[in-house]
Amino acid sequence: MTKQSKHLGISRRDLILTSAALGASGALRGPFGASAARAEGKTLDMWWWGEQELPGLQAFVDDSVKNYSAATVKTMLQDTAVVISQFQTAAAAGKAPDIQYLWNGIYHMESVWLGYLRALNGLVKDDVITASGPTLLSHFGGNVYRLGWYPLPMIWIYNKDLYDKAGLNADVPPKTWDEFLSACDKLKSKDIAPVGGGIQDGYWGEWYFGHALAQNVDNAGEVIDLFTGERDFRDPKYHEHWVRLEDLKKAGFLNSEMSSTELYPGIDMIVAGKVGAGLSIGARMPADSKQTNGRIGTMVMPTYGKGKLAGMPILDAQGLGISADSKNPEDAAAFLEYLQSPERLKVFHEKTGWIPSNTTFDVSVIDDESVRSMWQNWGLSPNIPYLSNLVPGQFYDQALLPTAQQVVSGKMTGAEAGDLAAKVAKEWRDFNPDMVGNYRKWAADLAG
Amino acid sequence: MTRAQSSRVAPYLYVLPLVALLLFVFGYPLVRIFEFSFKMVRGIDGPWIGLRNYELILSQSLFWEAVLHNLQLLLAIPAMVVISLLVSVLLYERIAGWRFYRIIVFVPYVLAIPIIAVVMKRMFQFNGPVNEILRWLSLDFMALDWIGSSDVALWTVIILIVWRESALGIILFLARLLSLDESMIEAAKLEGASWWQRVWYIILPQMRGVIEFYVVVSVITMLAAVFAYVFIIGGGRGGPGTSTVVIEFYIFNALIRTSLPGIASAASVLLFLVSVLLIFPMFRARRRAREEEA
Repeated sequence: MTKQSKHLGISRRDLILTSAALGASGALRGPFGASAARAEGKTLDMWWWGEQELPGLQAFVDDSVKNYSAATVKTMLQDTAVVISQFQTAAAAGKAPDIQYLWNGIYHMESVWLGYLRALNGLVKDDVITASGPTLLSHFGGNVYRLGWYPLPMIWIYNKDLYDKAGLNADVPPKTWDEFLSACDKLKSKDIAPVGGGIQDGYWGEWYFGHALAQNVDNAGEVIDLFTGERDFRDPKYHEHWVRLEDLKKAGFLNSEMSSTELYPGIDMIVAGKVGAGLSIGARMPADSKQTNGRIGTMVMPTYGKGKLAGMPILDAQGLGISADSKNPEDAAAFLEYLQSPERLKVFHEKTGWIPSNTTFDVSVIDDESVRSMWQNWGLSPNIPYLSNLVPGQFYDQALLPTAQQVVSGKMTGAEAGDLAAKVAKEWRDFNPDMVGNYRKWAADLAG
Repeated sequence: MTRAQSSRVAPYLYVLPLVALLLFVFGYPLVRIFEFSFKMVRGIDGPWIGLRNYELILSQSLFWEAVLHNLQLLLAIPAMVVISLLVSVLLYERIAGWRFYRIIVFVPYVLAIPIIAVVMKRMFQFNGPVNEILRWLSLDFMALDWIGSSDVALWTVIILIVWRESALGIILFLARLLSLDESMIEAAKLEGASWWQRVWYIILPQMRGVIEFYVVVSVITMLAAVFAYVFIIGGGRGGPGTSTVVIEFYIFNALIRTSLPGIASAASVLLFLVSVLLIFPMFRARRRAREEEA
C-alpha cells in the first residue's frame, strides 16, 4: 500500500487517523448518498474507497451491486480523509458497516487490535483468501483480516530511451547496486540525471524506505523490532539504505530539482525523458507505458543488501474486510467471494483498466505487454509486502519522510538519519506505551 | 419578584440563549481540550495521566523546534510594518492612479492562502521562474533551493507571509491616513517641512494606535494562524525535514496523523494560553486606535 493517492496527490497518512470530529460527523452520516441494489431481503452495508485513485472502481462497484442477487448491498464511497476514522468511530458506536474498505498494514491493524474487525478465515473460503493476495501484513494472531481487492506493485522504473542514449542495454536493467552505479555513471556522462524524481512532499522517502530497508532484513517482523526497541536504527545494517542514498547524492546522480519537486511530477520527469530512473507504482504503468510506446521499463531495486528480502518484488494490495458489528457476516463473506469470482474479475478489468487482486485472473486480457510482464513478475511470482506499511504514524512524520528529504538535499548523512530514526522510534514508544505490546505480538506473527 | 427586580433580571434573560449557545460552541470544546490534555486519548476518550502529555511535549525537541520557527516568523512583522507604511503613505499622497493601486495591493489579501501559496511554490521551485530569472541576470548565487532546502524554506514562507499580510497593513494604515486632519499636514508643507519630516513628525505619531494594533494582530497571526502557509510551502509535511513545522502544524500532526489527541490537546492548551496573553495588548491597542480616531 502506498500512502499517496494517485490522482489527488494526497498522502494516505493525510487521509488516515483524522480528527474525532470529522469521524464522528461522518459516522453519523450513515448511508447518506448510498445506492441500493435491486435485491430484497438481506441487506448489507459496504463502505469503500478507491475511486479517488482508481477511476472506474465506482462503475465496478455499481455493476457488482446491481448484478448481485443474494442480498441488497448499500454502498457508500467514503471521503478520503475519513476512511479509517469514520469506520472506527462507527465501530465504537456499534454501527459499523458489514463490509469495510481497508488499507494494508498498520492502517487496518489498529482496528483489529481495537476489536472492530472479524477474522476472515472460516468465513471466506481459504482458496479465495489466498488467491486475493491480502499480503502478510493482514495477518495477526494466526488470523487474516482482509481480502485483497486491487494490487499496488511497488516498482522501480527506467526510461529505455535514455538508457539507449547512454549506451546501456535497455532490455536488461541493472540488478546489482554496482551495475546500477555503473549505469548512473554512463547516464551522467551524457548529461542525463541518472536517478531521482521528486521528494518535496516527502512521499518519495516512504517509497524508498519500503524498497531499500527490505535489502537488509530477513522478514517483516524484524522491521517492527526497530520500533519496539528490540533492534536499533543506529545499527549500520538498518540505516544503510540512507547511506546509499547519501552516496547517490554525493555522486551527483540525483536530479537537481528533486528537493523542490513533488512525487508524481517527479515520476512524470522519468516518463518525459528527463530523469533516467526512479520509484513508481504499478497502477501508473498502463498510462506511462502507453505514453512512451512501451519505453518505460520496470525493475526491482538493484541489490546491495544481504537480507532475505533483498531483490524481491514488492506487492501491496488494497482490501476489504468484515466488521465485528456485522449481523450478517456470512452474507458479507458471500458478497466478498462474489467480487472475487472470475466473471467479476473480468468486469473489474473492463471497468478500471487495472488488474484485480487475484492470482487466478486471466492475464491474457491485458493488452499492454509491459503491464502484463509487470504483473507476472510482481503479482504472480514470489513477492514481499511493502514494509513502509509497518511504520507508526509518529515515526512516519518525524523520521521517515524528514530523513530522506534531508539526505537528498545534502543536509544529513545516512548515519545521522539513523540517529534521528532511533530517537524518534524511542519517542514513539514514550508517546504510545499502549501500542508497543500489540506491535510486539504482530512482530512475532510476521517473523514466522 | 417586584417590578424593579424583574426589570433588572430581564436583560440577562434576553441574552441568556446567546450566552448558552456561545458556551456550548466555544466553552464546551475548550473544556474538553483541557480535559483531553490530561488524558491518553485513543479514539474518543482515554485514561487520566496527569501532566504526562505536557512532560512529553516539553521534552521533545520537535516541539521546541516548532516554537523556534514561530518566533522566527515574528521577524516578518517589522518588514510588514515598514512596507505597509511606505505603500500606504505613497497612496495617501494620491499618486496618479492611487485608487487602482489600492485595489491591486489588496488583491493578495483577498486571494485564499492556498491559491497564492501554490502559485508561489511553483515560482520558487529550483528550476522555476524566480531562479530562471536570477540565472538570466547572472545572479546564480542567489538561485537558491527556495522550497527544497531546510536552510531556506522558512525564509520562503516569511517572504510569502510578508507579501500577503502587508496588504492588510496597507488597508488599515491607509484608512487611518484618510481620516487624518489634513490641515496639519498642509500647514507643515507651508512651513517648508520635507516629505520625510511630515511623515515622521506629523503622520506617524497620529498612527501609533493603528500600528500597534496591526503589530499585535500580526504577532497572533505568526503564532497561531500560519498553518495554510507552511502546509503548502512545506509540501504538507512541514518540510524539508522539519524546517517549516510550526506549533499549529505540530498540533495538526498529533491529532490527524499520529492519532494522539491528548498530545494535540496539551499543545493546543499551551498555544491557547499564549494567545490569551496576547489578546490583552490587542484590546488595549484597539482602544488606543479608536481614541486617536475620535
